[in-house]
Amino acid sequence: MSETKARITITVDPQLSAYAERLVETGNATSVSAAFNDAMADKAYRDRRRRSLWLAKVEQSRQDRVDRLMAHVDEQLTDDQ
Amino acid sequence: MSAFPLVLDTSVVRDIARGDPDLIALVQRYDARNQPLVIPALAITAACLDARSEEADDLLGGLELLENATIAPLRGAEQAMRLADVIAKTALDPWDAHVAAVADAAICPILTLDAAKWRQPSADLDEPLHIVEISDPDDE
Repeated sequence: MSETKARITITVDPQLSAYAERLVETGNATSVSAAFNDAMADKAYRDRRRRSLWLAKVEQSRQDRVDRLMAHVDEQLTDDQ
Repeated sequence: MSAFPLVLDTSVVRDIARGDPDLIALVQRYDARNQPLVIPALAITAACLDARSEEADDLLGGLELLENATIAPLRGAEQAMRLADVIAKTALDPWDAHVAAVADAAICPILTLDAAKWRQPSADLDEPLHIVEISDPDDE
């Protein structure tokens, strides 16, 4: 995590703001900012995992078959135009 | 590349959720070619119901991360009523009816693994749908 924090202004749904405040009150977050920071860090981690999974699947693909599938789709799209 | 966005139907989204590498590579390559892709939200719902696993959820969530893909929501009363109209006219399930409603409204081709299932619904609508089947000519 970066030691220098960026200051931003965000607008959030009221129930999410209330939840973040509840996390602070119950000691599950050090601040509302930290709660939203953690949520965004989780999303960044999840998105990276999803991109990696897609790339792994693409590496498993049979390129020659994908070439044929795309050529067949492109042919139909050309016919439609 | 199509001038129009391509709409993925439930058969395509389901097989992505099941982890079909060739289909995932095809979608990824269209995205890399800057081909706009549209994934109706209810097609994702159908795929999620079909393949209940964390990997399936990650593959479906990965659709949203493609540069040129847009998730088409079901938003507002007009779109909800339009969906009902498509269901009533075609007898499609709500998932593919949302695909048809999105494609029909935007005049976009539908990418499917099963063109045959779209023949009658296409005939039932006021304007025919443009159906494009993903199939390997070598399998025929």
